[in-house]
Amino acid sequence: MAHTKVEQHPATAGRTLVVMVGLGVAFLLFIAFLNVVRSGNLLSESNLLYAALIFYCAGGTLYLGFGITGTPSYVRFASLATWAGLVANTAAVAHRWYEAGHPPFASIYEMLLSFVWTLAALTLVAETKYRVKVIGTVTMPVAIVGVVLMQLLRTEVRPLVPALQSTWLHVHVTLAMLAYAACALSFALALMFLIQDKMKTETFLAATSVFTTAIYAAILTRFEKWGGLSVTAWDPEQKSELFLSKGIRLLLVIPDLGWLMLVVSGAVAAPLALYLLWRKTHNDGHLDLANRAVFVSVLLQVLALVFFILRVRDGHYFSPDADGQFATSLAASPFILSGLISGIFLSLLYLLLLWRRNDLERMLPSVDDLDRITYKTIAIAFPLLTLMIAAGAYWANRTWGSYWSWDPKETWAAITWLVYAAYLHMRITRGWRGRRAAYFAILGFAVVMFTFFGVTYLLPGMHSYA
Amino acid sequence: MAASLPRKVWQTLGAVKTGVVLLVLVVIMAAAGTIVLQRTTTEADEMQRAYSPQMLAMLDGFGLTDVFHAWWFVLLLGVLSASIIAASIQRFPIAWRFYSRPYKSPDEAFRKALPTHKLIPVKDEEAALSIAERVLRKTGFPAEHIVRQNSFSLFAERNRLSEMAVYFVHASLLLIFLGGIVDAEFGWRAFLSLTRGEQATQVQSQNGGKHQFAFAVRCDSAGQENYSDGTPKRWWSNLSVLKNGHEVLRKQIAVNDPLVYRGLRFYQASYGMNGKLDRLSLRATRRDGGNVKDIAIGVGETVSLDADTTVRLAEFVPDYVVGDGEVYARSSDLVNPAAHLVVQSRKTNLPVNVWLPPIPGVEQNAASPYTFEGKNIQMAYFTGLEVSHEPGQLAVWAGVILMGFGLVMVFYLVHSRIWVVPVHDARGHTQLWIGGAANRNKEAFAQRFDDVTKEVESAIAGFEVGTEESARLLAAM
Repeated sequence: MAHTKVEQHPATAGRTLVVMVGLGVAFLLFIAFLNVVRSGNLLSESNLLYAALIFYCAGGTLYLGFGITGTPSYVRFASLATWAGLVANTAAVAHRWYEAGHPPFASIYEMLLSFVWTLAALTLVAETKYRVKVIGTVTMPVAIVGVVLMQLLRTEVRPLVPALQSTWLHVHVTLAMLAYAACALSFALALMFLIQDKMKTETFLAATSVFTTAIYAAILTRFEKWGGLSVTAWDPEQKSELFLSKGIRLLLVIPDLGWLMLVVSGAVAAPLALYLLWRKTHNDGHLDLANRAVFVSVLLQVLALVFFILRVRDGHYFSPDADGQFATSLAASPFILSGLISGIFLSLLYLLLLWRRNDLERMLPSVDDLDRITYKTIAIAFPLLTLMIAAGAYWANRTWGSYWSWDPKETWAAITWLVYAAYLHMRITRGWRGRRAAYFAILGFAVVMFTFFGVTYLLPGMHSYA
Repeated sequence: MAASLPRKVWQTLGAVKTGVVLLVLVVIMAAAGTIVLQRTTTEADEMQRAYSPQMLAMLDGFGLTDVFHAWWFVLLLGVLSASIIAASIQRFPIAWRFYSRPYKSPDEAFRKALPTHKLIPVKDEEAALSIAERVLRKTGFPAEHIVRQNSFSLFAERNRLSEMAVYFVHASLLLIFLGGIVDAEFGWRAFLSLTRGEQATQVQSQNGGKHQFAFAVRCDSAGQENYSDGTPKRWWSNLSVLKNGHEVLRKQIAVNDPLVYRGLRFYQASYGMNGKLDRLSLRATRRDGGNVKDIAIGVGETVSLDADTTVRLAEFVPDYVVGDGEVYARSSDLVNPAAHLVVQSRKTNLPVNVWLPPIPGVEQNAASPYTFEGKNIQMAYFTGLEVSHEPGQLAVWAGVILMGFGLVMVFYLVHSRIWVVPVHDARGHTQLWIGGAANRNKEAFAQRFDDVTKEVESAIAGFEVGTEESARLLAAM
């Protein structure tokens, strides 16, 4: 019964996307090749990274295509593209390593490089070993966002300050990347579990809307008088953020961008309001309207992203604090940028679920399998987290003379560990299975993300290197 | 029998729910400690800027400005430890019985209840058992014979230690807590700044206490290596440990590579100038011609220029300003240096103040029999050492290693058991009952169990066909 839908596709329709993506890849590679011929430097890191980006995009598109249509041949080509991307990514990592003389873990750029590599590798492992084919639909877009972010962040090899020259640091960061990638995987699996567990599509609507609204609420904390939006100033010479004084960033006001963000935040909050209204009235018309509002909000979010990129990229704006014009750059606002991108990505995922839920359910592994594999990835992540914290403590002890100093990053790493420890206790001794376990896996990943990004940008501390 | 109150408290303390609730509380408190500015890492005036006075007083009152040293946070960790201990003590006897007295001879009720089992009809009980034993040994389950009334059964197991794994993890956590508490109570940290040749026998720790060393530590030399762009690449110091004036240990320390002696650790933390002069190189030229001399001089030192004349470096200002006819130091950075020399001649016996550069109002350069030209300024460098005493560290590292082993055991060591029991049904037919159990990763074990039983079955079938064949051959002879 479930297979009738696939058979309805004519044999040629299954090839359309593959051919289109293939042509797209060929075109982009050709254009890139022309540029390379002109500059005469084939194997530079940015070229390799660009190649990885093209292949990951192709892989991501095909995975998404698989997610939507369920055409099995897409997955074959998707994993082929991912393999190609992984090769280019590996070459970029090797190039970086060779150039810098140390493993690529010293800056947030290098960590993203390693993180994306791990994520792509784990996706392929999950696909071949556990046969979770659709996982690329979630992980590849994350990898793409990672590569795009990397293009914006600084790329030149910086010498390491004395405190960072230690093998233990590399051990620490490698373990962290592996653990975080495993957590990301468990998060994706938990989401799939919730889909297979017949969680209502409306609940996903509410969750998506709450999340995107939270992103825009966070962005709107930068809202200035008369509709401006303040962003961090950038020093193009030093390739670093500008500081007013120690720990206080110099903020520039981009006029009118705040209004746009305000409008878009209204648009992303609308589905939530309509959802709440539906909960009260049980009028399905409201729900229908909410879903349409999500679609509209995606368009507006893309608009916000485009305008943000256009205005922030290499602009010069006035600073009320330092009296004068200063430059800004996308690299100075990685937080807002990744917020905008993840908002779009999440809404798109929701729409995918809304429109193709039946196909998704058919393709995903069974509830029990997903539950078990989620647990297994956490069983991998937890010892890695433990070792990561231990290696970090050992390194801190050798460098600063103290293995634990309650610095925010340390504290949040411990919090991550405790959250997963609670999950394991509930699962092993109280037999938590299914939804509650999945919620815990999602919560754990949220804490991981906060530890990785949030602590660096929001809280003060010693981990200023990354 | 109604449980008494202490017993109830004890049971509650050891419940998994209590443990998880405590974990969640620790998480919330620790998160609060990263969001509220902490006094230990923030300057006092920054705290005042960030919060209103009432707010600050309230935060201070609740200990929220120093969460990780607040009594309630320590108490929370203490209760969590007590909960771990209680849970371990309550569960340990059962686990220990399970571990020390393995269940080798399954009775009928157990055989019926066990989900993973298989019955294989056999003709020759003893031959079938020995075939099963051979197959088990081959698949990594060497079995022992469990003697019953007039027959025997088989029992094989792997990784029995897995049953105790969780106790290793809990014990390791307690070890880490213990080390942390010892360090919080008896440990200290201090900063020590030494210039070349200087030695120290005590330090003042960050919380104000004075700590006397049982030895002296001396800095013999220190330095910095730079990358080509001028950013620091490496700092190092050559340190000597002296006892009663004798050198007992010598080590070059660098960032990430400390000196450890008698429970004290000396870390390279920083390196830099402190505004003091090490040596000033000068060229002195006699005014009436002839005598030219290159000298290097430190502050307070006197050098003779010829038989009659001496020069003393009275003062060195790394960054000078002039105000009201006096010379002041503006900073300790080498920005705008000035040197004050005193030239004295035996003939006149009058000291002459020479300033480099000549500062109007204070200089008497023209009266000096020598002119001076600055050649080189060598500033004194200090090496910044972090000194720490952490007596609980060993327990922490032991705990970490134990936890590593414990976690690997918890997640990856599976206690699997296989029993083989010959049973006779009501009609007198003999069957082999094969049962298996694993304490985790049950799906993988079920697969493996399936493979093992299939192999046993086919080996027995092969054997029986073989014996029938030979019996037929025998009959045909």
